[in-house]
Amino acid sequence: MGVNSVRRSIAQVELSKGQKAVLKTLVYHTFVALIGLGMIYPILWMLSASLKENADIWSNVDSLIPREIHLENYANGWKGFGDQSFATFYKNSFIYAGFGTLFQVTASAIVAYGFARVQFTGKRFWFALMLTSMMLPTQITQIPQYILFNELGWVNTFYPLLIPRLGGAPFFIFMIVQFIRGIPTELDEAAMIDGCTKGGIFFRIILPQLKPAVITAAIFSFYWTWDDFMTPLIYLNKPELYTVSVALRAFADPSSATDWGAIFAMSILSLLPVFIIIIFFQRYLVEGIATSGLKG
Amino acid sequence: MAETTISVTGSEAGIQKKPRSLFWRRRSRFQHNNLVGYLFISPWLMGFLLFALLPIVSSLVLSFTNYDVLRHHILKADWDYIGFDNFHRMFYDDFRYWKSVKATLRYVSYAVPLRLIFALAVAMLLNTKRRGVYLYRAAYYAPSVVGGSVAVAVMWRQIFGQEDGLINAILGVDIAWFGDPRYAMWTLISLAVWQFGSPMLIFLAGLRQIPPEYYEAAAIDGANAFQRFRKITLPLLTPIIFFNLVMQTIHGFQQFTQAFIVTGGRPLDRTLLYPLYVYNRAFVSFQMGYASAMSWVLLIVIAFCTAIVFATSRYWVYYQSDER
Amino acid sequence: MKSGKALIILVLLVALLAPATAAYGKQEKVELHITWWGSQTRHDKTIAAIELFETQNPNIDVIYEFSGWGDYWTLMTTKASGDNLPDVMQHDYAFMYEWYSRDLLMPLDEFIADGTINLADVPPALLESGQIDGKQYGISLGTNSQAMMLDLDAFEKAGVELPSPQWTWTEFEETCLKLHEALDIWCFGGTLEDEALWKSLYLGYGEWVFAEDNKSLGYDSDEHIVEFLNMILRLMDKGALPTEAEWAEYEDQGPENNPIVTGKAAMAYHWSNQVVAVANAAGEGRHFKLWHLPRPEGGQPENYVKPSMFFAIPASAKHPKEAAMLIDFFTNSLEANEILAAERGVPISTVVWEHLYESADPVQQEIFDFLARVTEDSSPVPPPDPAGWAEIRDNLYEPLFIDPVLYGEISPEEGAAAFREEANLVLSRNE
Repeated sequence: MGVNSVRRSIAQVELSKGQKAVLKTLVYHTFVALIGLGMIYPILWMLSASLKENADIWSNVDSLIPREIHLENYANGWKGFGDQSFATFYKNSFIYAGFGTLFQVTASAIVAYGFARVQFTGKRFWFALMLTSMMLPTQITQIPQYILFNELGWVNTFYPLLIPRLGGAPFFIFMIVQFIRGIPTELDEAAMIDGCTKGGIFFRIILPQLKPAVITAAIFSFYWTWDDFMTPLIYLNKPELYTVSVALRAFADPSSATDWGAIFAMSILSLLPVFIIIIFFQRYLVEGIATSGLKG
Repeated sequence: MAETTISVTGSEAGIQKKPRSLFWRRRSRFQHNNLVGYLFISPWLMGFLLFALLPIVSSLVLSFTNYDVLRHHILKADWDYIGFDNFHRMFYDDFRYWKSVKATLRYVSYAVPLRLIFALAVAMLLNTKRRGVYLYRAAYYAPSVVGGSVAVAVMWRQIFGQEDGLINAILGVDIAWFGDPRYAMWTLISLAVWQFGSPMLIFLAGLRQIPPEYYEAAAIDGANAFQRFRKITLPLLTPIIFFNLVMQTIHGFQQFTQAFIVTGGRPLDRTLLYPLYVYNRAFVSFQMGYASAMSWVLLIVIAFCTAIVFATSRYWVYYQSDER
Repeated sequence: MKSGKALIILVLLVALLAPATAAYGKQEKVELHITWWGSQTRHDKTIAAIELFETQNPNIDVIYEFSGWGDYWTLMTTKASGDNLPDVMQHDYAFMYEWYSRDLLMPLDEFIADGTINLADVPPALLESGQIDGKQYGISLGTNSQAMMLDLDAFEKAGVELPSPQWTWTEFEETCLKLHEALDIWCFGGTLEDEALWKSLYLGYGEWVFAEDNKSLGYDSDEHIVEFLNMILRLMDKGALPTEAEWAEYEDQGPENNPIVTGKAAMAYHWSNQVVAVANAAGEGRHFKLWHLPRPEGGQPENYVKPSMFFAIPASAKHPKEAAMLIDFFTNSLEANEILAAERGVPISTVVWEHLYESADPVQQEIFDFLARVTEDSSPVPPPDPAGWAEIRDNLYEPLFIDPVLYGEISPEEGAAAFREEANLVLSRNE
């Protein structure tokens, strides 16, 4: 009798464990999804505005549902200006953001390794200098930098946009430094004993473990570059070189009629590449890191 | 003889050599390390020396001049040195200056902590392998992607509108968010907090870097979720918390775009963030020398705050690589 | 390692691509650079007009660049710092003097004299505003004037008679209160705090806000502006005007957002070339009329015909003659102006004006008519804003004076006195 009742109670406990899990999942998803909706509400608002007729945007402000769907906002916006449609602007944005990200993140990882794992004289000084260089507002260095690039003859090319990126960015360098410092040094030491060079350690040991950091950096770099309008604005002086960010800002003018529907439509479209990149790279973040080699 | 000894490990071989060779070995390793170190940081170093150094130095020099972008050509050096006049004017004669200082301090002291707290909380929430979590992550990061565009400004102004705005509807109040000097700053703070996606992703990456074996081992030892958080997650996350704290502070002080497009510093300069005022002085009043001086003051303040955080980091930041 | 090699290859690729991009635009024809600001509508129209110009002048290649208003001056200032100014640039009344005083603009008189820029059909009054120290520095791209926009349906519904075009501010206040009481909406969408209204107010008293030598304010007594502000405060108190706090969210939101569109106000204040946007936003079935600004009791008209924007030629222009030809094209070509459709304001050439009038839609025609009425009944064009005006407008006029007064933090007298002191200080630095 006692054994059977114990058996029954165990069965009951196991059942509720399963139920508990389902309940947990339900609660989790509801909670997260609700807040998530709140987070993206403003974007939903933009999406709905992009489908509304211009007058409807202002008169029917709080409603997420357009009175009528006006897909021509997308067509009108896409036309761009003069002979340049958004296809051109997208191309330019991809060149800028794509190469810019590649250069910036690669360089940052390399530099970060130097700061994090190599002892050399002046390391502290340069690191502090690097951080300090971030503290000056960009509006101030803009003009001297423009004059510098002007003297080099780089105005109206992609040079000022891409070449400086080969130096990485203090933000990413610092970030990756912190990640590297979170990696235990046992593997490094083992590799050094086996005769591996610092460079080898970087490529074979550190880099694989830096996946989450590098991916995060890539996401940020892409998005920030995609969004940057000031640099392309002042250095790319032909409409056929404009990026999406520049084009969006040329849409609106308070003194003349603005096609708000088109602006919202193009803004939504401008979000798509970044979103796709995020969702795509998310998968790597989900997989986590391979923690081989720490055993024994 | 050391030279003929077959060494088991490189370091052992080194120890067995004669002292004088040891000195040279150490010295050459030292030089070797220097070379390697500089090689690794050369991309940044080159970039800095070529493209950043000159503009930074010239902005410092310009803060002691009356450089006026349109009137005086920077290369022809036909501007005048005016010593500390710019700084004097800033601190004593400029009534808008202190307003912008106050606004910026207020902004930073609210926006930075709130952003970090939300970012960490949500990162922990999303640090799971549940299905569809990557969609949630994208949704929580989405606001940051929207960034500082014209569309965002319009949309934000709609949401905080007095009559038809969503916020007033939810809170059940009738506040003129953009007109009331008491509340206008909250439109900017809320925008900053809404866009917590960046620090969140970084926290997420940090969380993902913590080897699951640690958690498993702790669970086996009987630790509950809270203990696991306190003893494993938090300590291992401190390098990232440190990073986010420093960066968010720096960015907080430099917040420009959102203020520029959403409030323009209004009303009554209550949201006149410092970089916005710098921009105003530089590109609207053309007083680039004065604006440079203002920027350097900002740099000093940010550097000071950052130095404090760095100094205290010894006591609360834990690096796995430092443990021997 | 693979990533290292890939990196090197990529860098080489960029290094090879870059010269190709940099080699853009190296041609034998005359390359004319032009910049302007605007919205998508204006960009499209201007580009179409430019292409027409290019077909008529095959040896000229026009390279254009444009932006929104918000970024335009940052862009141009940056270009100026690097001596990279275009051949033709769109300019604004508020900045003309600043640029002129720094020797950045080229006088156009020789091109006018030799007929490259043909101004025979332009009434001289419309050219005055582009003249500084007796020389012509800018050619107006369209005439503008300040308008009170009246919603005829609102007036009818409230049973309020339309005022006379020569109405006074006292009559304005009365009309305002009547409308507010009858309809329970704002009689006027705005706070009347625009600096243009301050300037116009003194024009109404026969004075100008700046002294002739531009070294100080041009009026001695703050009485008029104080009285004006008191009127605004009275109307705000009664709810006929929105308070500063209420108005804040409408500011800078573009003409489509003005309450007159949504029926929350019966009147609005706009420059005439913005009226099209407002009317379009309001949609069909609305009836608007453009009215003169009110004037002081027994005073002069407050309206004047102002250029909406100019084309100017920077002093560093590489092809001034062709630049002048382009300006002439925009001023006189009938086809070009059909394309441009008076989007920048009413064309200054009477020939073009008349040509467009026939095919204009009712809103446009009302604007044309309004400007004709104003030209009959207006004050002479005041001189361009002096150097230092940008400083005064952005750092003094609103932050130090108008905003605190209208928020009730200081009295109009205090505000006016503080403003006078600081503004005089800024202006005294002028040479």
